[in-house]
Amino acid sequence: MTRFRVFPFLMALVACLLWLNAGDSAAETRFLEAVKALGVKDYPTALSNFEAALTADPDNIRYGSEYRQCVIQCKQYDRCISFFEKLVADSPTAANAFLNYGFAYVDKIPAAGAITQVILADKSLSLFTKSIELRPSWIAYYTRGNSYLFWPKIFNRTHLGVADLEEAMKMQKADAKRAYHVRTYVSLGDAYWKMDDLQKAKAVWREGLGQFPDNPLLKVRLSQEGDDLKALINSGYDPNRRVDTNLQDLWIKR
Amino acid sequence: MKQKLARVLLIPLLALLFFMWAGSAGDGISTIRFQEIGKKAGVDHLHHTHVFKGKKGDVLSMFTSGGASAAVADYDNDGLDDLFVTDSDEGRTNRLYHNNGDGTFTDVTESAGVARGNDAHSIVSDALWFDYDNDGRVDLLVARFGTPLLYHNEGNGKFKDVTANSGLNKFGNTVAAIAFDYDNDGYLDLLFGNYFQAEDLTDLKTPNVLPNDLDNAINGGGVTLWHNNGKGRFEEVTKKAGLGHHTGWTLDVGHGDFNNDGYQDIYLACDYGTDRIFFNNGDGTFRDATEKAIGFDTKKGMNAEVADYDNDGWLDIYVTNITDEYMKECNMLWHNNGDGTFTDVSKETGTCDTLWGWGAKFGDFDNDGWQDLFAANGLRSAGKDNYIPVLVNMIIRPGINFSDINNWPNIGNMSWSGFQKKKLFHNLGTQSFKEIAAEAGVDNELDGRGVAIADFDNDGRLDIYQTNANQRALLYRNQTENAGNWLELKLVGSKSNRDAIGARVKVRAGSLSMIREVAGGNGYSSQSSTRLHFGLGHVGKIDSAEIRWPSGLVENVEVPINRITYIKEGKGVIKRPRP
Repeated sequence: MTRFRVFPFLMALVACLLWLNAGDSAAETRFLEAVKALGVKDYPTALSNFEAALTADPDNIRYGSEYRQCVIQCKQYDRCISFFEKLVADSPTAANAFLNYGFAYVDKIPAAGAITQVILADKSLSLFTKSIELRPSWIAYYTRGNSYLFWPKIFNRTHLGVADLEEAMKMQKADAKRAYHVRTYVSLGDAYWKMDDLQKAKAVWREGLGQFPDNPLLKVRLSQEGDDLKALINSGYDPNRRVDTNLQDLWIKR
Repeated sequence: MKQKLARVLLIPLLALLFFMWAGSAGDGISTIRFQEIGKKAGVDHLHHTHVFKGKKGDVLSMFTSGGASAAVADYDNDGLDDLFVTDSDEGRTNRLYHNNGDGTFTDVTESAGVARGNDAHSIVSDALWFDYDNDGRVDLLVARFGTPLLYHNEGNGKFKDVTANSGLNKFGNTVAAIAFDYDNDGYLDLLFGNYFQAEDLTDLKTPNVLPNDLDNAINGGGVTLWHNNGKGRFEEVTKKAGLGHHTGWTLDVGHGDFNNDGYQDIYLACDYGTDRIFFNNGDGTFRDATEKAIGFDTKKGMNAEVADYDNDGWLDIYVTNITDEYMKECNMLWHNNGDGTFTDVSKETGTCDTLWGWGAKFGDFDNDGWQDLFAANGLRSAGKDNYIPVLVNMIIRPGINFSDINNWPNIGNMSWSGFQKKKLFHNLGTQSFKEIAAEAGVDNELDGRGVAIADFDNDGRLDIYQTNANQRALLYRNQTENAGNWLELKLVGSKSNRDAIGARVKVRAGSLSMIREVAGGNGYSSQSSTRLHFGLGHVGKIDSAEIRWPSGLVENVEVPINRITYIKEGKGVIKRPRP
C-alpha cells in the first residue's frame, strides 16, 4: 500500500524536475540562439529570442543584461522598456527583472533630450528601489547608489548615494573578494567628494587601491587635485555619455 | 652641438613671435576692452516683463520673459546708428533713441510716435528696422504677442502707423522677426518666429498652451512668412513657401545664403525641440534640409546668428541652448561644410558653454580680421531659493501633462539660472576661441536677452548694446587700444532692396579673405547695424572688394580703409545720402 502511494509521488516529483529542467534548458536554448543572432547583427531574431528566454526565466540577471546590450546596439529602447514593464507585471517578485528594467531606462538616457533624461533617471531609481525591496543585493545597492551620483548637487540626492554605496561596501566586505568590488571603492569615494569630503574620498580610494593595486580609476583619482580632479569626476557622471550597464562582471570569472 | 641646440630653441621662439605678431590686431598688441556707458549715454532703458493676471499669471510671465529687444538703424540718414528699444508690460512704452554723435542719445519716442504696442491684449516682443517701400528711409516693425505694428518712416523724424493697410493682420505669438528678400524681387519680405500657438495669452480659452513635450514639442507657433507685394502690402505665404509644416516653439529665426547659390536660406532656433534649416529653392519655396544638414536635436534653441567665423567663404551659424549645472545641452556652432551639411564644432572651438543662453552676436571687436562672439545669458535672477528642484518635482510626476498650465508650479521670488556672467569669446583665428569677458569688462550678471552690435560712435570699433529682462539695458563702448585697421561699408540697393539685405561683400586684404552679408535682424531679440564691418589687422590696403547684390549684379569697388564708405548698387562709391 505504502509502495503504491510512494511511487506516484516519486513519479510526480521526477516529472516536475524534468519540467523545470526543460523550462531552464528551453530558456537557455533561446538565450544561446539570441546570442548567436546578435553575433551576426540579426537584431529582430536576437531580440525575440532574448525576450523568450527572459519570459521563461525572468529573474535571470544575465539574460536581462545581454538583452539590453542588444537593445543598445539596435536602439530599440522603447521596445525594451515595454517588454520589461510587462515582464515585471507578470513576475512581480523577480528582483533582477526590476533591476534590468531600471537599467533599460538608464540605457535610453544618452539618446534622450535633457529633460527626458531627468524623467528616465528618476524612473530607473524607483525600479532599483523595488529591486532592493524584493531582494537586497550588492549589485542593487551599488547600482542605485551610483545612479544618485549622476544627479547634480542642486537636487540634494548625493547623500542617498553615499548611504547605498556604504551598504554595498558593507555587503562586499562580508563576502569573498571579487574583481567588481573595486567599483564600490571608486563610486563611494566619488560620492564623498561630491559631498565635499575630500579626506574621506581619498581614504576610500586609498583603501580600494590597497585591495586592487592596479586599478587605473583609483590611481588617477589619487593622482589628481583641485579642478583636474573635479573635471575627472564630473566627466564620469555626464548624462550625455553612455554608461556601461553591462553586468557581465558578475558572471565572468577574471 | 651648441648650434643645433640654438636652432632647436630658435625655431619655436620665431614661431611664437610670428603667432604673436599675426595675432595682434594693429601695430601693437590689442586687448579687447569695453566701458559700460548706458546711463551716461541715456540709453539705459528699463524693461518690464508682462505681468499676467490670474492664478497662473506667474507661470505665463515666466514663459514670456523675453521681449527686451533692441533694433539698430540710422533712421534719419545722418550717418549715425540709432536705437529702438522695447518694453513688454501693459501700458509701458518702447523707446526710440536718436544718436547725437557725441556719445549721447536723445529719447525722441514721443515726437516720433512709436511708443505704443503694449496694451491689454498685446505684448511687445521684438523690433525690426527695414525699408519695406524702398524710399530710402528705414521703417519700423514692432513684433508682438498679438498682431504686429508697422510704422512708415515719414522722413521728418516722425512715423505713421500703417498697420491697418499693410496686410499684417494675423494674430500670432511672435517672438522673432527678420526682413529678407527671399525671392530676390527687390522688396523685403518678413519672416516671423512664433513661440506659442496663436492663443491670446491674456485671455486663455484653454489651459493647454504650454509645450506638450519638453524635448520634442510640436505644439508651438511655427513661423509665418509674409511676402511684400511692393505696394505697401504683405501677403502670408507660409504654406505656399513650404514652411507650414513646422510647428515648433520658434524662438529665433536667422537668414543667410548658406549654400552660396545667391538665394537666402533660413535657420529656425526652437525651444523644446529640434531646430530646422530650410534651403531656398529659388522659386519662392523652401525645402526642409534639417535631417541631412544638421540632424534633429532636442535642445532649447534660443539664438540664430550667422557669420563666417573661420573666413572660409561659407556662412556658419551659432545657436545658444541651455548649459547649466542641471542641464548640459551645449551650444551649437554649426560649421558650414560647403556641401549642404554642417558640423557642430562648439566643443572643439570652446564656444559650447554660455549657461542659459540668449542672444549672441559675432563682431570683430579688435579689428584683427577674425569675428569674435559676445553671448548674453541668464534667465531669472531673484531670491536665493532655486526653482529647478521645484520644477523637477513636477517634471517627474508620472503621466504629467506639460502643456496644462495648471500643472506648473509658480516661481514666486525664486531664481532660475540667474546671476550668470556674460561670455565674450575672442576668435584666435585657429578654429578656437578664448573666453575673455571679465578682462574685457563685459561679464555683467544681468538677465540678458538681445545683443545688438553697431559702431555707434563711428570710430571703427564695434560697440555692444545688451537688453535685459526686467532690468536696465547696457551700452558697452569699445575702447580697445591698438585695434587693427578697419573698413565699414553701407550698401544701398537700387534694383535690389534698398537696405541691401542679403548682399554679400568679399574683401581680400593681405592674407585675409573675408565675407559679410547684410543681415535683417539675425540673433535673438535684436537687430545689429546693417553697416558691414571688416577688421583688417595690420593690413594697410584693400586688395579687392567684391559685392554680390541680391539682384545678381556683381560689382568690384575700390574702397579706402579706416573710413565708412557708402556704395550704391550699380554706381559704386557714393557720398552719404543726406537726411
